[in-house]
Amino acid sequence: MEALTHLLHGFAAALSLNNLLFAFAGCMLGTLIGVLPGLGPAAGTAILIPLTFSLDATGAIIMLCAIYYGAMYGGTITSVLINVPGEAASVVTCIDGHQMARQGRAGSALGIAAIGSFVGGTLATVALVAVAMPLASLALKFGPAEFFALMVAGLCLVVGLAGSNMLAALLMTVIGLLLAMIGIDPVRGAPRFTFGAEELYDGIGFVPVVMGLFGIAELLLAAEKRQTHMISAELKTWLPTRQECRQSAGAIGRGTVVGFVLGLIPGVGAIVPTFMAYVLEKRVSKTPERFGKGAIEGVATAETANNAYANAAMVPLLALGIPSSPTIAVLMGAFIINGITPGPFLFTEQPALVWTVIASFFIGNLLLLILNLPLVGLWAKLLKVPFSYMCTGILIFCIIGAYGLKQSLFDVWMMLGFGILGYLLRKLDFPIAPAILALILGPMMEKSLRTTLEISGGSFAIFLDRPLALAMLVVPVIVIGVLIFKPRSLSPLRESDVE
Amino acid sequence: MLIRRRTLLTASAAATIASPALAQNYPRKAVQLIVAFPAGGSTDVGARILAAAAEKDLGQPITVVNKGGAGGQLGFTEIARARPDGYTLGFLNLPGLNTIILDPERKAAFNIDSFIPIVNQVLDPGLIWVKGDSPYKTLADLIDAAKKAPGKISACTTGILSDDHLAILMVQEAAKCEFRIVHFDGGAQQLTGVMGGHVDCAFDNVGSVFKRVQSGEVRGLAVTDVERSKFLPNVPCTKELGMATVISSSTRGVGAPKGTPADVIKVVETAFLKAIESPEMKQKMDAVGLALKPMAGATYAKYYADTQALAKKYTEWALKQR
Amino acid sequence: MRQGRLIATGAMLAFCLFALWQSLLLSLTDRLGPGPGFFPFWLALIGIVLAVALLITTAREPRDPSEGEIHILPHGPGALRWLAIVALLAAATVAMAVVGFRISMLVFNAALVIALGERRWWAIALFAVLGSFGVYYVFTTWLDVLLPTGWLEF
Repeated sequence: MEALTHLLHGFAAALSLNNLLFAFAGCMLGTLIGVLPGLGPAAGTAILIPLTFSLDATGAIIMLCAIYYGAMYGGTITSVLINVPGEAASVVTCIDGHQMARQGRAGSALGIAAIGSFVGGTLATVALVAVAMPLASLALKFGPAEFFALMVAGLCLVVGLAGSNMLAALLMTVIGLLLAMIGIDPVRGAPRFTFGAEELYDGIGFVPVVMGLFGIAELLLAAEKRQTHMISAELKTWLPTRQECRQSAGAIGRGTVVGFVLGLIPGVGAIVPTFMAYVLEKRVSKTPERFGKGAIEGVATAETANNAYANAAMVPLLALGIPSSPTIAVLMGAFIINGITPGPFLFTEQPALVWTVIASFFIGNLLLLILNLPLVGLWAKLLKVPFSYMCTGILIFCIIGAYGLKQSLFDVWMMLGFGILGYLLRKLDFPIAPAILALILGPMMEKSLRTTLEISGGSFAIFLDRPLALAMLVVPVIVIGVLIFKPRSLSPLRESDVE
Repeated sequence: MLIRRRTLLTASAAATIASPALAQNYPRKAVQLIVAFPAGGSTDVGARILAAAAEKDLGQPITVVNKGGAGGQLGFTEIARARPDGYTLGFLNLPGLNTIILDPERKAAFNIDSFIPIVNQVLDPGLIWVKGDSPYKTLADLIDAAKKAPGKISACTTGILSDDHLAILMVQEAAKCEFRIVHFDGGAQQLTGVMGGHVDCAFDNVGSVFKRVQSGEVRGLAVTDVERSKFLPNVPCTKELGMATVISSSTRGVGAPKGTPADVIKVVETAFLKAIESPEMKQKMDAVGLALKPMAGATYAKYYADTQALAKKYTEWALKQR
Repeated sequence: MRQGRLIATGAMLAFCLFALWQSLLLSLTDRLGPGPGFFPFWLALIGIVLAVALLITTAREPRDPSEGEIHILPHGPGALRWLAIVALLAAATVAMAVVGFRISMLVFNAALVIALGERRWWAIALFAVLGSFGVYYVFTTWLDVLLPTGWLEF
């Protein structure tokens, strides 16, 4: 295969000392930035772009991509250890990851996250090599109608997150959707439900809300219990046990597929694949009640999906020059500044560059694994810091994170407000995850419906013309209908199947 | 930004020694340039390049501050509310600024007089483009199709009330045709929309897609300007196609809050103009497909007022369709 | 706890009622289909139904005697710490607009660490300075992240 030859050449170049160094530096810096709550890969990548000005084009790209993956992983660290999502996509990892940390299994959580990320990223890159161009063109067929259907399907998955109290979960979903409607509406382009506050024109800031609901709420709960440390349980293991790895194998596999497929579709964003992978895992599991209480599969699948998505998102970028998410748009800007214009002609015009970069994706994934597995112990040691300092320290960074996004103190207030809200909801046992999913999917859903109708001129018949969209709309609705009204009929053997 | 800090410290030191013309007390310290869009975007990139170049001529560091959000409204509000002492300048995007002011529901805290336009940097003309293998070979083809099937040929923009949106309205008025207008969020979505065959054509700007036109991936039908774009010499302009009223571009320049003293404005104008007209600036802007159109003083003020008037007409039309 | 859930659900019901009212102020239809008020209206309606249903099912739950005393709002000795976090965070945010990041965080750090139990003066001082001036320096100089400087531009 011609691609293979190119790839081998690419490896040769990528393994040069310089490029290795750039990849290494990128991973480290990215992880450090990712650890800072709220700043996230987009801001982190943007911040570090100037560093790459003095490098040659290949080196710069390698380093930037490494920063990107590193930042994704850095977000995992804070999610697991202190329940603060380092970046939006890490929200799902908080759910089970932090619970695992509370049980002394932070090492397993971080370890499986590293392993899952590596597997997901590597497999996604392999797939990228094999089918970048044809897949990219196929992904273009995914228009606003299909997007809308995907969002609806995603929302239906909420039922999978419901747990014991379906009513509460559905109510939280609705509230999440209502909050998502705040901002400039996609229909008229005019502010809706903003009551004159300019800061709300872009909607409720997702990052401050999530930092509040998860991170601040966690701190408030811990303070009330007068905890001396963030997590009192002793760290039992530094790495996942063999059994845990076996448990997670399936999760990793499924996470890779979900992450990869969704990564090919421009505009999906990192949170959607992680949520979907998580919900899928919970549905497929024989013991779904463990989810939310420290199920390692939850962490494994979310992290794998996240990284598979990140690598797959390179396909639309490299093959078509279309950035899938704001972070990738920043990456693309960096590419352009360095004189590289991603697009279909990139593969033919600068094959050496592209394949070197792709080769360095493999290397970057491996480096992340090598770097982070030993460091798990180090990160976990952070938990030994007394609560008084830990709490204050986390708050300092949360303030910076919330403020730094848009230089807005309003966002800091939002974070505080949602922090208190999150505290109350946690105490009262209301599930927060469905609201978060709704907050993300809601705007995308409404906007894509609007765009679909603009394209069809107001006719809903467009859905009849597009079988994929129709299927994605109808199937989940049927599935949840069945699940809501006959939850037991689908898993009659659940009780007796306990391992 | 360690690298930049060192360069600008040396630059400002050199400048203060070399230019006794800064005898008036301005600027005594660093100047802030507020950019109403997030870091990394095309406005931001242009602003940062300009700031880095103008620092040398101004003699003080120019810090770019990103205050994105609400399509620029948050940043513009910040500029309008800043102290008019010359230490806070702003990057003005037209017609973005205009449509925000003209949309009553936006409740903008500023109006056209809240800013003093000082010097313009970039003028990125609009571009009407289609997929490379599209059946429409010329703008006339597209308009014919639109006339034969009113409201069925879809044209997409990068946002509601963007300069692209206004350009579509201009074409509809000049050619007496009707498009089905689809609004996306930004150029990336437009690409997916058109390349995926979901929309027939796109209205965007030269700087965003010129490389793709050059490579043949997409076909440029017309540049909505009085002359052809130097980046796309083979694409006709609307004026030569007989549609002289279809003139639409996105311009970016430097301004200051109302009330900033005239002599301060003069210093800023001189410094930035020098930076814009320098060969390095030209080179950097050429690389990203952004045409420099330096305008200063009365010329820019007139352009500023004219843009507002033009935007008013089409924005009101667009708002009626809400 | 049941009482807490009832209150919370009640609040959500109120929220949905408010949303319903607000969405009626917007047009429900548009020339292309759903208007800006369409989704909010129906969502609010569904929310109201769900909230009422939840209220009923929660009210009908048998009171669980083994649940004991669980208070929704912070209770006990930890409540002071809870309050410290919230109050100090609010105060710092207000202060930042006026006196800037460094001074506000200096006070915030010291105050919160003391409220959470630390007593060694040297540790408090060191942490307070590092966590305000130190952090400010790192973020603004190395990472180019702007932090609030307040009216005094400090």
